[in-house]
Amino acid sequence: MKSYYDRPLLKGPHWGSNVVTYLFLGGIMGGLGLISLLADDRPEPEMKKLRKATRYTAFALAAINPPILISHLGRPERFFNMLRIVKFKSPMSLGVWGLVLYSGAAGANAVRELADDGIVPKMLRYIAPSATVPIQALLGAFMAGYTGVLISATAIPFWATGKRHIPAFSVCSGAASASALATLLSTLQGNHDVIPRLERLEMAASALEVALIADFRRRGGAATAPFFEGRVGTRLRDFTILGGIVVPFALNAIGGAFKLPKSLDALRSIAASTLTLVGGYVLRESLIEAGKLSANDPHVAFRQPS
Amino acid sequence: MATGFFTDSTLCIGCKACEVACKQWNELPSDGFEFTGNSYDNTSQLSGTTWRHVDFVERESVDAEGIATSWSMLSDVCKHCTHAGCLEACPTGAIIRNEFGSVFVQPDICNGCGYCVVSCPFGVIDLIEAVGRGDDAAKYSVATLHDDRLNERKTAVQATGGVAGKCTLCYDRQRVGMVPACAKACPTESIQFGEIDDLRERAKRRVETLQARGVDARLYGADDVGGGIGALNAFFLLTDSPEAYNLPAEPVLPSTRQAMGYAAAAFAALTLATIGWAIFRGEGGAA
Ligand code: SF4
Ligand code: SF4
Repeated sequence: MKSYYDRPLLKGPHWGSNVVTYLFLGGIMGGLGLISLLADDRPEPEMKKLRKATRYTAFALAAINPPILISHLGRPERFFNMLRIVKFKSPMSLGVWGLVLYSGAAGANAVRELADDGIVPKMLRYIAPSATVPIQALLGAFMAGYTGVLISATAIPFWATGKRHIPAFSVCSGAASASALATLLSTLQGNHDVIPRLERLEMAASALEVALIADFRRRGGAATAPFFEGRVGTRLRDFTILGGIVVPFALNAIGGAFKLPKSLDALRSIAASTLTLVGGYVLRESLIEAGKLSANDPHVAFRQPS
Repeated sequence: MATGFFTDSTLCIGCKACEVACKQWNELPSDGFEFTGNSYDNTSQLSGTTWRHVDFVERESVDAEGIATSWSMLSDVCKHCTHAGCLEACPTGAIIRNEFGSVFVQPDICNGCGYCVVSCPFGVIDLIEAVGRGDDAAKYSVATLHDDRLNERKTAVQATGGVAGKCTLCYDRQRVGMVPACAKACPTESIQFGEIDDLRERAKRRVETLQARGVDARLYGADDVGGGIGALNAFFLLTDSPEAYNLPAEPVLPSTRQAMGYAAAAFAALTLATIGWAIFRGEGGAA
């Protein structure tokens, strides 16, 4: 096949670990929005505790994620230039607004919890309407998914090929990681009663995730090679598919099927959650790294995916 | 009225005067020297600081007298697409279409997010290393960029760094009625500058003439290139397939994939929300 001395046609992303972290935490923020909605307005004490845990954590993440995003810019002091326009054709633009709005909703929900706990004046409870709970969940779904749209709406062949799969499994990965984080927090809180439900949610999310990744591999064709093969593919297999999905799924299934002694069970769920979180991070890292490799291959870039 | 370039590979002698003129006028820093061994091309690619790049395509043919090598040279440049991936992707609005119909990066607005870089279907635009960052960047706002440019011989690009860079179609020169530096410097009129409609007509006549002489000539980008991009304001006359010049045969405008992406994300989110609802709030789950 013809090429120009095999020189890359495209320019790859300049994005490093700060972007990977942003994508990873964005996914978790999304999943926490869902869990906080699921636990909303329930009489059970374990749901109340879960609700608080997810709302405080989501708010904390909403506070630390923007600086991480800003740190990747070539001119960080000009971050606010992103807020001069709203551009529906640019997922990067919509994403920044999604982040801003999500932070607002997460803030409102955290303030309500703080007011209930008596940490801030009670009356503050009324400036944050309860509609912010489903709103945070909706914006959360956007936060978990838009990064997948953002990368597939580029010229990079591997990303472009995944226009259906990447956004969908990014959402699943975000939900699984959020369930894992909520499980860890609940373990710390001693809120053991809620853990079986979180683990079932995590199992569902990671089952859908692995199914989507498998389907992507089957249909993706040559452009997906940088993701599934070589160094990136090995890491993806070991840390995301096996370590981050299969093993935690098995551990969670064991936890659901057998009544283990309390401390052993805590150990089991801590292990499963930690592995899921690592797997979620490696998934995002593999997406970015494979994007860089994909940009170097001119042959797949000459005929770009529709 | 939109202006652009018609770059004709059959007239190019590979002198690289365009590369030099562009670097000089725009005061773009050197990219260093790397001996590639790829014919006479040691520039290799367009980049944030290289806005014209001459391709040296070598083709070998064997006949009774031995192996013959033929050259085809082409000066590549930003295509100033009708529907530009870089412009659509830019979240700050730094990339605009100016009054000459060119795709222009306002260096004082760009925050260096790098999203345009991966969104160009032709691999043109790139981030410029942060040279001289901390310099008085505000001084080189767009306003001063073109009006004071002739006196103020320093580019916004050098002053800012950490931002995206590509061909401006010599916006500053056009503003004062001058021809872009590369077209001016080209000794063979391989690079022609002018109004788009006029250039297209010239290109079509040229390609007909060449084809009548038996040359395998074809235009790239004079008409719609497909993929939602439309025609290119900087288009080319080639004598080989686009891939030979490192041009995509089938470029696609990246934003066309978004609707499908959002739909897929919504599908996954809805599925998980439904499952989650059953687990947390369903009959058995909430018990
Ligand atoms: S060729 Fe690339 S950089 Fe130039 S206008 Fe088109 S999309 Fe933008
Ligand atoms: S790097 Fe600059 S020009 Fe490119 S998309 Fe980001 S803000 Fe826009």
